[in-house]
Amino acid sequence: MSQQPSTPLPPPDPVPLIFQRGFRRLVQQGAYIGVTALLAWYVYDALNLREFGFGFLDDPAAFKVANQWITDIDGVTNNRITMYLVGVWSSVRVIFVAILLSTLVGVVVGVARLSSNWLVARLAMLYVEVFRNTPLLMQVVLVYAIFLVGAPIIQEVLVIGDFAFISNRGLAIPWPVPDAGWWGVPDWFVGVWVALLIAVGIIAMTVRRQRQQLERDTGQPHFANRWAFGIFAVGALISFIALGLPVSIDRPIVEGTRYLEGIVIRPEFAALTIGLTLYTGAFNAEIVRGSIQALPRGQTEAANAVGLSAYQRMTLIILPQALRQMLPSITNQYLNVNKNSSLAYAVLYDDLFRVAGIIQNKAGHALEMFFVIIVTYMLISFLISVVMNFINARVTRVGV
Amino acid sequence: MSDLPPIPRPEQRPLPPAPGQRRIVLPPHRQRSRRPRSVRIREWVRKNLFPSRSGTLLTLVAGTILAGILTGAVYFVFVSANWEVITHNRWLLFAGGFPQGEAWRLWVSIAIVFTLIGLAYGTWSSMGRRDHLFVALVGAFVIFLMAHGGAAAWSSIYFLIAVACLYGGYLFTVRLPRETSTRRTWQQRIVGGLMALSLPVVLLILLVGGEVGPRNLDGFVLNLILAPVGIVGGIVLGIPLALGRASSMKSISWTCTAYIEIVRGAPLLGWLFVALFILDDIIGGDLIVRAMVVMAVFTGAYMAEYIRGALQALPRGQYEAAQAVGLTQTQRTRLIVMPQALRISIPPMVGQAISIWKDTTLVSVILPLRELKGNADSAISQFEFTPDRIEAYVFVSVIFWIVAFMMSRISQRVERAQGIGER
Repeated sequence: MSQQPSTPLPPPDPVPLIFQRGFRRLVQQGAYIGVTALLAWYVYDALNLREFGFGFLDDPAAFKVANQWITDIDGVTNNRITMYLVGVWSSVRVIFVAILLSTLVGVVVGVARLSSNWLVARLAMLYVEVFRNTPLLMQVVLVYAIFLVGAPIIQEVLVIGDFAFISNRGLAIPWPVPDAGWWGVPDWFVGVWVALLIAVGIIAMTVRRQRQQLERDTGQPHFANRWAFGIFAVGALISFIALGLPVSIDRPIVEGTRYLEGIVIRPEFAALTIGLTLYTGAFNAEIVRGSIQALPRGQTEAANAVGLSAYQRMTLIILPQALRQMLPSITNQYLNVNKNSSLAYAVLYDDLFRVAGIIQNKAGHALEMFFVIIVTYMLISFLISVVMNFINARVTRVGV
Repeated sequence: MSDLPPIPRPEQRPLPPAPGQRRIVLPPHRQRSRRPRSVRIREWVRKNLFPSRSGTLLTLVAGTILAGILTGAVYFVFVSANWEVITHNRWLLFAGGFPQGEAWRLWVSIAIVFTLIGLAYGTWSSMGRRDHLFVALVGAFVIFLMAHGGAAAWSSIYFLIAVACLYGGYLFTVRLPRETSTRRTWQQRIVGGLMALSLPVVLLILLVGGEVGPRNLDGFVLNLILAPVGIVGGIVLGIPLALGRASSMKSISWTCTAYIEIVRGAPLLGWLFVALFILDDIIGGDLIVRAMVVMAVFTGAYMAEYIRGALQALPRGQYEAAQAVGLTQTQRTRLIVMPQALRISIPPMVGQAISIWKDTTLVSVILPLRELKGNADSAISQFEFTPDRIEAYVFVSVIFWIVAFMMSRISQRVERAQGIGER
């Protein structure tokens, strides 16, 4: 058999344009952009964006913003943007306190859920199941209702030891304020004292680091923390006395139907913070429990084997390792706290959302106000993320 | 040779259990000790409650707290609380402005939904003792509510019929053979299809014909409508958004990312603010419809993030294998990627569903719509009920808790049935 001369293959048919990948993607994207642009144009047209502008924020506010802390910024003469910033500051306070407290609640309850004590574990489970499955709004308004119904009216104010007052206007407690002191120093001397405190703190931290280094080098205990704390306490006391006690404690007094002096924790603030704490705490507890359970059992056993107590086991071995796992989810919860703080609207706490609502009510411009709101929430979220990413980077710096 | 020991005969094995009588033999390390019950109880108590001095102290503290909570709760519920604010305003809380003459629409919808719950339970799971107990408790709660403050005998009977529908559906499907077969696949498909169909059907029953319209949705009924609309709409929006964000085409992935991040940037209250003041110019329509759109748009962004997480969790090999057998991109997504991604994302999506269920209360904070919490506020604004604020809010919280708790239990069931987290 002679080999037949092979005929060269015909050149492949050119692929039609519509089957070419690049072309199809181009057409798809083109169609997509076209439709999106049409939608955008429709929205633009419907919203009548020609009047979009933020000039109205510079007008006088002409409304009051309650629930300020220490400050008493007058809403009549200041402009709207100032009052909005006051609202932002109110939100940030709630968010900060709720984040701290909910973390604390979450860790305690999360550990309690894994307790070998049956009753403690059940109690923790009860807490989690109740507060995770009811609306945050109901928790906030319920706490607020309990305050309003349960607390006495201001005429029958409840006095605790002559320095704290409880009524349905809130809890009034003493608060330190700048004072002339022995030598009649001006108010800003408090600033000098704070600067001195920072200096003493830096010295204390340096000593602590040196002691720790010594401890590592020699293997002998050098009590780094005790030294640091002692230096700081002595330094703070000496500088305080040397400046002539520039701080005095301001006791609250009741005059007519309102509190004067001191500091007042309003029921609105308390209800919102307690509600956020209980609600977020239940979620945090589940996160803590999950990340502890995700650890290998050998960690517990090893801790037992080297003779650590239950408390040492938890704080030195289990929680630091579980922290790596729980940080992303906890960060998510913190971002939720930020957004959920808008529920202040339901208890008439003047946070940023409510102040924005009042401004919109007085001046219109809903679109601009919404823009301002969303940018503010995103900024706060961004701040929380930055801080948590910093902590996360520190925690995960050491590989396991 | 006869002095060899006899060959030991194997011991007589126990007779197999009689038909109809099951006997489970545990391996030795799992067999319960034969000590008397009282000893076992005492040992359990010592080990779990009084293991050491500090453990005992802990138990005492926890016991005191628990006892305090329990006695406080019992005292509040049975002694100090005035529940008349609830029983007097039953219809207001339940359906508010829904015309009483059209109440049959509500009951038919409830019966349909209950039947579907029964069918779903029978198809994918089975009801244990706890589930029966839960149904019985909720039923008793509802009947108790109906039995106070005026005649509502017919409502109780309708509710019992709905519960009977639940059990009817359950008994119908639970008897079908459980092993994997085409028949079972078809059963699952039919029940799934009915569930998908139920939302539009219920909306039709509630809103079309007679003298009812979207404006009449009120009270608890509004919560019960808003949440499913938000959940279903969220999933429908979330799947294309997740695929779009994962797309390799820049224009698509950027716009989808922008949508998701902007929607997640503001709280739901902010978006309801949009529904009230801004959306009117864009889509118009009834305020309730705008609220539904906002719910779906809001949930869609969160669902998209969960589905995207699942897409990223899928092993790369799945995409490559699908490419290797020559599937087109559409087939790849529809047959290989999406089923697995949706399965992985069930737990977080149920979490989001529970969250949106609780968030339906926010509607009455900023919009002039009255869902359950809003109607509770109306109830306590009546002159004779102004001191009963706490009772009304506790009642609303309990109602929301019941549904949310049920949803979380069902999600645990689904996870177990699907074997999620087992490999």
